[in-house]
Amino acid sequence: MKQSTFKGDVLPYILLLPTFLILVVFLFYPALETFRLSLFTVHPYTGAERFAGLYNFKNIFSNSDYIHSFGISFIFTLAVVILGLIFSMMIALLLNEQIKGMKYYRSFLIWPYALSPAIAGALFNFLFNPANGVICYFTGYRTWLTQGTTAFFIIIMAAVWKNLGYNIVFYLTALRNVPRSALEAAAIDGAGPVRRFFSITFAYLSPTTFFLLVMNTTYAYFSSFGLIDVLTEGGPARSTNILIYQLYRDFFVNSKTGYAAAESLVLFLLVVGITVLQFQTTEKKVHYQ
Amino acid sequence: MKKIVILLLAVAMLVPALFATGKKEEKAVKVDANAPVTIEFWHAMSGTRIDLIQGIVDQFMKENPNITVKVQYTGSYNDTLNKVKSAVKAGNAPQVFQSYDVGTLGLIYSDIITPVDDAAKKFNLPIKWSDFFTPVQSYYKYQGKHYSMPFNSSTPLIYYNKTFFKKAGLDPENPPKTYADIRKAAVALQKAGIKTPITWNLHSWYFEQMICLQDAPFVNNDNGRGKELPTKALFNGEAGKKVLDWWVGMEKDGLFLDVGPGWSNHRAAFVSGEVAMVMSSSSDVNLLTKGLKEKGWEMGTGYIPRPAGAKGGVAIGGGSLWMTNTGTPEQQLAALKLIEYISSDGPQIKWHKGTGYFPVRKTAMDKLKAQGWFKENPNYLTAFNQLLDSPESLNTAGALLGVFPQARSIIQSAIQECYAGKPVQQALDESAAKVDAAMAEWNKVIKQ
Repeated sequence: MKQSTFKGDVLPYILLLPTFLILVVFLFYPALETFRLSLFTVHPYTGAERFAGLYNFKNIFSNSDYIHSFGISFIFTLAVVILGLIFSMMIALLLNEQIKGMKYYRSFLIWPYALSPAIAGALFNFLFNPANGVICYFTGYRTWLTQGTTAFFIIIMAAVWKNLGYNIVFYLTALRNVPRSALEAAAIDGAGPVRRFFSITFAYLSPTTFFLLVMNTTYAYFSSFGLIDVLTEGGPARSTNILIYQLYRDFFVNSKTGYAAAESLVLFLLVVGITVLQFQTTEKKVHYQ
Repeated sequence: MKKIVILLLAVAMLVPALFATGKKEEKAVKVDANAPVTIEFWHAMSGTRIDLIQGIVDQFMKENPNITVKVQYTGSYNDTLNKVKSAVKAGNAPQVFQSYDVGTLGLIYSDIITPVDDAAKKFNLPIKWSDFFTPVQSYYKYQGKHYSMPFNSSTPLIYYNKTFFKKAGLDPENPPKTYADIRKAAVALQKAGIKTPITWNLHSWYFEQMICLQDAPFVNNDNGRGKELPTKALFNGEAGKKVLDWWVGMEKDGLFLDVGPGWSNHRAAFVSGEVAMVMSSSSDVNLLTKGLKEKGWEMGTGYIPRPAGAKGGVAIGGGSLWMTNTGTPEQQLAALKLIEYISSDGPQIKWHKGTGYFPVRKTAMDKLKAQGWFKENPNYLTAFNQLLDSPESLNTAGALLGVFPQARSIIQSAIQECYAGKPVQQALDESAAKVDAAMAEWNKVIKQ
């Protein structure tokens, strides 16, 4: 296959320019500005800045509440990624069967992805809120969201549910690429369904799984803010106060600009670090066609 | 002769000194009061209140045809404040905005506002503060100067279901007043079949108010109103402990339903009959009265409870209107006229009837009384009486601290820790230490 190339040096750059401009204005500049601000203390109203070196970072890491947030964010991400991938893979396998009305099942199961986290939060609030939640009413147990362990569990559940659609779409596409002939050959050789899944299907799914692993990690660390704001506000007693929510509060409510910038730099480095680690360890096990 | 010369010299030396101090005061300036001018007004009142405010402003524009006011609802108090801050930096700030009570000290030191008293002096448009209820105007007065215009003022109230009270054999005309009374009523209601008879939302505001009720300070340096910025939290003293011992005690004994944070769950629990007593803002009186009426129940209101013998009172909460230090003198004059108008009797009466926030002026109150409004709506009067029964002191004027929003979330976490079993005193001490650290940090940054 012949790859088409551009003639001349200028045209490709001109074509890239719009994208690049948007990236610079909305991504690179704000990111660099955030990194810069992490070294300053900033007046909450006028924005007057004073250089402070690593002062903000020292403050962050000497704060026991922050360390706590660090820990639960990690557990939260681990749970969201593992549960999210397992459930979505299982559902995708079911959705890959040929039965009547499958189109509708697919649409319904992918649908949660189209909701914003705040709406998803409102739905879970409708189920679990202690005053008139539907599930509280039927179970007679009302402290789902006002008791630390269960609240954490529900946030994980909501975050997993919210992202199922995204994962399912990718798994469905990947499943289309599993060659039927390989599965049939294995069946003739006497491999049971479990063996067939792990030896053949799963291998074909591994590039997608790796991609989703990275994406879901980012999702869990960065995008669960809306759910938490609607459901628990980080409570009860900070048990759902993950890093991104603390960051939101420190910037938008507590107006600690420099401190929040430092927090966001730490979060950024953390996620970059995890992603690099994933590439170095997990990717070796990925089987690309 | 010599003496006179010396005297003259002394006077001559004094005169510049006098002028030097006089310079700091805003001098009256002449502006063309009738020139056409456009100003912006950002507020944080959602729902039906958007139209209510628009109606008040429309009337203002009718009376001042040269002034155009663009009114905008800009999200919650916190969102509004953030938007104002970025607008100031971008150079397109509104001339008037609404902010919450707890933003007061921050705004005083913000360098982005004009104190109302300064503007009034500058434009020679004196404001008759003696018309205002003392607790209302004293909240927004800092070291002798009024910084913002009181607008929507409220206090917490106890709302109770009279129908349920009768069923439990309690006197529906005599709401419980002390901690012990509340507990006794809750026990009786529970016996009458209401599983968890009382609730309120997880909010530090109630905790603050119940400290005021014991006439105890929340922070040092005259409750944050002194010459120096506050540096030490005092809410972990005896008064704070009494509040939480009672509050958390009821939760532990299953009398209190923990509905978590936010402003909807506790209202829902009360309106659905899940609970028989609820504590909430006096600005909810309209909403809750309607809610209970739909179910055919009767609603009563009472003062928020105190330990027997406590001698304090409530501090007001809610919001006020601030002027930014941006815009032309003409715009500033228009802004001043606007906030003066909104605080005047007509708009305040309209606002009160539409929401339950009480009017900020005595004169408006007198007019409402003359109309017979409170005879038909006695529950609207409770918040007033509660406020007027409050003695005046630095503690009941309400605490001021720059990190109030942060302090609130720290305290709310502490209360939840107590629900989960942490001893009250330990939780309070730990959160006081955190607030101290936050204040030290803020005091440093605000002066840079």
